[in-house]
Parts: sequence; structure tokens; C-alpha cells
Amino acid sequence: MKKIILLLFISLYLAAPAFAEVKIAATLPWIGSIAGEIGKDRIAVTTLIKPNQDPHFAEAKPSMILAARKADILMYNGLDLEIGYLPRIIESSNNPKIQPGKRGNLDCSQFIEPIEKPSSVDRSMGDVHPLGNPHYHFSPKNILKVAEGMAVVFSEIDPGNAAFYRSNLQMFRDRLKKKQRLWSALPLKGKRYIAYHKLFEYLGREYGFHIQAYIEPKPGIPPSAGHIEELLELLKKTRIDAILATTTAGKKEAESLTQKTGVRSVVLPQDVGATETAKDWFGMMDEVLKALQ
Amino acid sequence: MKQWAVLLFIILSLSLSSRAYGADIESRLKALEETLLQQGKTIEEQRKVIIELKEELRNTRTEETAGTEKKPIEEPKAQKATGLFGASALTNPNISLVLNTFAYSSNLNKKELELRNIPGYTAAGIENRKGFNLDSAELFLFAPVDPYFNLYATIPVTENGAEVEEAYFVTTSLPYGFQVKGGKFKSSFGRINSQHPHAWDFVDIPLVYKAFSGPEGITEKGAQLTYLTPLPFYTLLGAEALQGENAILFGPDAKPGPHAYTLFAKASFDLTDNSTILFGPSVMAGKTKTDSVTAGAGFRGASTLYGLEFTYKWKPSKTQSIIVQSEYLYRRQNGDLENTVALTTGPLKRAQDGLYLQTVYQLNRWRAGARYDVLSLFKDDYILAGANQDFGKKPWRASGMLEFNPTEFSRIRLQYNHDKTARDGKTSQELFLQFVFGIGAHGAHPF
Repeated sequence: MKKIILLLFISLYLAAPAFAEVKIAATLPWIGSIAGEIGKDRIAVTTLIKPNQDPHFAEAKPSMILAARKADILMYNGLDLEIGYLPRIIESSNNPKIQPGKRGNLDCSQFIEPIEKPSSVDRSMGDVHPLGNPHYHFSPKNILKVAEGMAVVFSEIDPGNAAFYRSNLQMFRDRLKKKQRLWSALPLKGKRYIAYHKLFEYLGREYGFHIQAYIEPKPGIPPSAGHIEELLELLKKTRIDAILATTTAGKKEAESLTQKTGVRSVVLPQDVGATETAKDWFGMMDEVLKALQ
Repeated sequence: MKQWAVLLFIILSLSLSSRAYGADIESRLKALEETLLQQGKTIEEQRKVIIELKEELRNTRTEETAGTEKKPIEEPKAQKATGLFGASALTNPNISLVLNTFAYSSNLNKKELELRNIPGYTAAGIENRKGFNLDSAELFLFAPVDPYFNLYATIPVTENGAEVEEAYFVTTSLPYGFQVKGGKFKSSFGRINSQHPHAWDFVDIPLVYKAFSGPEGITEKGAQLTYLTPLPFYTLLGAEALQGENAILFGPDAKPGPHAYTLFAKASFDLTDNSTILFGPSVMAGKTKTDSVTAGAGFRGASTLYGLEFTYKWKPSKTQSIIVQSEYLYRRQNGDLENTVALTTGPLKRAQDGLYLQTVYQLNRWRAGARYDVLSLFKDDYILAGANQDFGKKPWRASGMLEFNPTEFSRIRLQYNHDKTARDGKTSQELFLQFVFGIGAHGAHPF
């Protein structure tokens, strides 16, 4: 019996594929998608949060701890978005490579310029992120910086493939430039929207549209009847081009506002993989920007 | 600007004085010379002022640019240091305070509650007072010590003072999936034991833990080693060496040195993207010297506690989830029971078991749960001097709770217990209204 168990364990150990690739654990799907653009087949990415899950409310599942234990690099959004589960995953992973301060601990927000950093904050304001708006993944400008940062870190950890990563980064840069030309041709300047959560602020700054109000009265707090009344008033008084919900939040509220006012509502992917067209980061951006027109 | 004003003034005054040119040329020329001299002086003075002003302006400008240059360098650094753990942890550790307070009511009177023990298991009664109770204001401190250790401390402050409930380090840099924890900590035996009371899904601890380890669970001084295997599914193996001071299971005077040891394993699979199971066995063994068995008697011997845990979680979105959780515990005890009144000693063998099964359903900010507790489920041996004692019916309890969580930092919970633990057929109907609030650093949610 003991021999059989021992054999079983040994075979399970051997069953793990022999890999030369850099193993990456990414908290969010978009991080995995950008990493894939830079690392292609030389990396193996495991994504901890599924596209249909809200990153604000995730829990440290044992399978996430296991992925972190095996990772060479742990990549995360930062700006406190993963504060509810990531510190625990990192500690429980028993993996020295991904501890804070190590090269394998990659906070993608270090490469970007956060917006909406509040000067003072307390929790009576709701779930405000004190380091700034953490949803920079809809920002082409910032995503390019993240991709550049990833290429540097990949080259440091896997110097043999540095040239490969550099040429992939150049390809990404070229593709992004072409796309940006298409995206900036879209008539988004001066448009006004109502959104559920503060997700599209970076994009609005880059493409000149404005989020007039939020369905959430405060970040993370579901809307009260009074707040919905205020939104209805606003929709009557001002021209609002659309009400924005995502696949994980605000669909019901947006639909009911549409029924009452006739202002169209749009359901957008909140991350890569949340809809069929949002297969990768470019697909997600295409879908979001087209829907905003 | 000022220079131009001065020039304009000179030209105006010159033209005005030239217009007045006429009768007495000599005196007028003198007057003109004087005014010119005076004007020259004022021009000199004003130039000096202008130079001073320019210098001042230059100084303030360099200060400003220095300021803007500093900011972009500082900001990314600050993000790097704090993006994971919140506010800066360099000068202060992360601190949070959790208030756990509740109102309690029961159909039994004060004396009946004090004497309400679980015969055959524990002599301890109910400590809750009818009316308002303060469980504790619990202070948590944590921060990385250096690149090799993290430090945690839990200091519940109660009306009786503050105590160090937990204070331990955890290694972060051991290779091959190993980790060492040392200090005073909650044992990783089973599932609910390592959770803090405010994180439980019900106000009170399950009966099995109350009967076998006391209402606070097993918190011990000692060391723990865990190994997270690289198997394709999550498997954590662990061992603990503990001082063995738990008043019910072991007792500080059972042996001078460490005298309790734990082994545990936890395995977990994701059945789908939204559902996960976690299960595993635990065992804890050690020497025992306690007077908790029954009033007026002391026990000396050895105890072994076996446990099996099972948790199923389904969480398709943030608005909805189901948790099903159960633990089965089996305790064997062998030794001598000494009656401290009659001064008689007899061998005592106890082999008892029990389980709890609970489920919690969450919809938006509301959670509703049910729990069933039972002792003496399959085994109810209390063999004193060769004779199995009969204490009556199986102790059991059924609980229902309803929670409202305005945010993840606040919780209001109503709980009802139908308690049949005294084995005498008498029911205690308990009602709790609990308030849990947390402020300060954001703790991570365990699975």
C-alpha cells in the first residue's frame, strides 16, 4: 500500500511538464494578455482571477496559492486593487522568488502615472483607492509603459531570450500605434456617459469623453433608491450619450435606467476574456471603444 | 512694468515743465535741473527695487521647479513600497482594530447558564451575560520585519485587560516550498481553529471545539513547519510542536517541556471556475493534566484529537455565494481521574466524537446560515474504573443566523441557538445580536 502511494506521488511529480519557459502568475486577465504579447511561447501564464470575477471581491483560493508557489514572476495590477487577497497568496505561496522586493514580484502600476489620487481619504467615502484609480488597463498610453516594463523584467529573469522579448515589444508598439490611429478617429470627443464604477477615467482622459455620474453613489456601495432618482433627474436634464455597465457590475441598474429614460445602455467587458470578442487586450479595447461611439 | 511707468512719468513731467517755459528762464532752468536730479535719484532707487524683485522671483521659480522635479521621482517609489500592503509600513506596522460586541438573551436564568456544562465532556458553563456583552476590541499588527520574516500580533483588549493572543513570525524566503512559523499562534489543526472569532460565520464556536478545546480553540506557543507541495493540485503538509497549555486538551503542568504535537494535511481542487473544495485530516496528541473533566476532579494522562475538515465554496459572482463547511472531531483520552474531594483515583478512558455542519448563503449584502452541531455521534465512551458512564441524551444544537454586511468592514448579525447540550432534556433558547466593525489596515480574506 505504502509503495503504491509513493509511486503515485512520484508519478505525479514527474507528470508535471518539463519546462524551460518562465512561469508567470498574473492576477488579472489583461496582465496575462500583455505578458503573452511580450513573452509569447517562452512564457507560461496562469491567471488567478477569472474574467467574469470582480477583482475587488476575490478571495485567496488554494489554487491561486499553488500557482503562486510555482511562479517565477507574480504580476499584479497594484494600487491596492488586490489588497484583499494578494498579500495572503504571496505569504502562503512559500515561494521566495515572488516576495515583495524580489525581482519576481512585479507591480505593474509602478510603470504608470496614476490619476485621481485623493489627498485625504477615509472609509466613509466608500472603497476609495488611496493610491489613485487602479483601473488603468483601459489606457493605451499606460499599457505601453507596462509592456515596456514587462520586457525589461523578462529580459532580466531570462537573459537568453532578451532579444526575443525586445523584438516582441517592438511589434506590440507598432501594432498599438496603428490601433491608436484607428481609435482616435472614433467620434468620442465631448461625449458624456454614466458609468457604474470608476473604470473608464483613464480612457476618457485620452479620448476626450467624460463620465458625468456613477450608478454607485460611492465606490463599492450599491445604489439606493434616492440615488437612482438623482440619476433619472440628471438623465432628463442633460444629454447623456450612454449608460455604461460591465459584464460583472451594473447590468441590471443600467437596463432599468434605459427603460425609464430611453438613453441606451452598453455592456462592456471589464477585462480580457469577459466577452467573446475581448479575446486579448486589443480585442477588448476594440470592443469597448466601438461600443462607446 | 515699473520701468515703463517711470519712463512715462519722466516724459510727462518733462513735457509739462517745457510747456510752462516762458518768463524767468534762469530760475526755471534751475528748477528744471533740480527736478531732473531728483528724478534721476528716484529712477536709481526704483531700479534697485526692480533688481531685488527679479531676484526674488528667480528664487521662488527655482524652488517650484525643484519641487516638481522631486515629485515624479518620489511617487513611483512610494507606489512600489505600498502597492501591496497599503499605507507605508516603514515607520508604522499595519494596524487594525476589530470591535466584536453582542447582545445576548436566553430563557434560562443566570445561575442555570453558569451551571450549563456538557456532562461527560466539559465542566465549563456559559460565560455570556444576559444583555450587552463586549467580546473584545481586537488589535492586529502586522508588517514585514525584513526580507526574511513577516511579523503578526493579535492583542484582544477586553474588560479584564489586554492579552497577547497571538504573536508570531512567518518566514518568507525559505526555498522548496517550506515555511516556518514561530511564537504564539492559533494551531492549523482543522479549519475553524485558525480563524479569528470575528471571521466565523456564527457568533459562537462549534460544539466539537467547545467540548474538546474550549470556547477559544487551540492557541499555543510553539513552532510550525509547512510544506506546500508542487503537486498539480493544492496540497499543504504541516507539523507543529506546541507547549501544550490548552486547559481542556492538555494543560500547562502536564509536563515541563513542550508536550503537544500536530500533523495536518490540506488539499484543494477547483471543481469549476466558481467552485472549490478543500479537505484534509489533522491529528494532535499530547500529555494532559486538567481539572476540566468534571467538577471537583483532576485528570492526568494522554490525549489525542483527530479531525477531518471539508469545505465547499460556490461563488459565481460577488453578489451570490454558498459555503458548505463541516468538521468531524474524535478525541481519545487515557489516564487517571482523581477526585479531589473524596481523594479517590480511578482510571478514565474517554473516546468521544462529534461534528458540525453549516451552510451560508450570500445574496448581495445579506447572508443567511444554518448550523447543526452534535456530540457523541458514533462514539460516547466515558469508562471510569471499567464502567461506561451514561450521561443521558446526545448533546446537540441547531443554529440559524441572518447577517447584513453594509461593507466588508461592518457586520450586523442576528443568531438563534436551539441548545440541547446539557443532556437533561432542558432546552436553552439563545438569541444573539452581534456587531462586528473593523477599522485600519485592510486584512486579507482567507479562503
